[in-house]
Amino acid sequence: MAVKRMVLEFGMGTDISGADPTKAALRALRDALSHNSLSIATALGQSPEAMTIDVHIGVPRPDKVDGARVLAALPHGKGRVTVVDGGLEVHDDVGKASTLIANACAIVSLDIQ
Amino acid sequence: MTGAAVAQGDKTRVILELGSGNDLHGCDYTKAALRAVADALHHSSLAFIRSLKIDKTKLGVEVTIGVQRPDLVQIEEIKALLPVGSPTVGVIKGGLDVPDPEHDDAAVIASAAVAVRVDVSALATSGKRARPPERR
Repeated sequence: MAVKRMVLEFGMGTDISGADPTKAALRALRDALSHNSLSIATALGQSPEAMTIDVHIGVPRPDKVDGARVLAALPHGKGRVTVVDGGLEVHDDVGKASTLIANACAIVSLDIQ
Repeated sequence: MTGAAVAQGDKTRVILELGSGNDLHGCDYTKAALRAVADALHHSSLAFIRSLKIDKTKLGVEVTIGVQRPDLVQIEEIKALLPVGSPTVGVIKGGLDVPDPEHDDAAVIASAAVAVRVDVSALATSGKRARPPERR
């Protein structure tokens, strides 16, 4: 048996005015998940719960991301999250508020023969 | 969007990729549809093709487009966008038109669904084949 990548899902999320990196990361992951309907686990005779999902997030201030809240968006399988400094931050003209963009990739793997 | 393109034999659907696209000015339904398909394709990477050593030419690819004027979508242009397999393309009434009566214009929005199918019985990994319920 060997764990192999099956699908990579990509998404983008924002927090327009709150500059909350967890909110942007969660939206990015939801965006990635909601553009794809996966039936590959059951097609290969496995339970969706057998999937392992490595979630990679790029967002400004990665240390402020609540990984457990992000992973709660996963409907099936065992999740792990890695957050790195990335995404994008755009400040407003008066320097008071900023808009955050988070990028997400969910790598879905299965243990196959 | 309620319809679907023609099913392709005994192949099992392994992923349904979803996207939307628009043409903001000009009411070009083909342009909106092409952007919707591109959006659907670019939210995932089908790593299983390499992991399971699948012959890409044997993948089943079904595209379904929803726009308000399906008769105006150039299907051959949509087919040319698909990177693998021999796709079938269905266009049905759906999407959304947002008219701007003041300027005699509209924004047209297309929805796209791309189903990718595999003959799982031909895979070395398919010991316990089961018809799947859909996920998400």
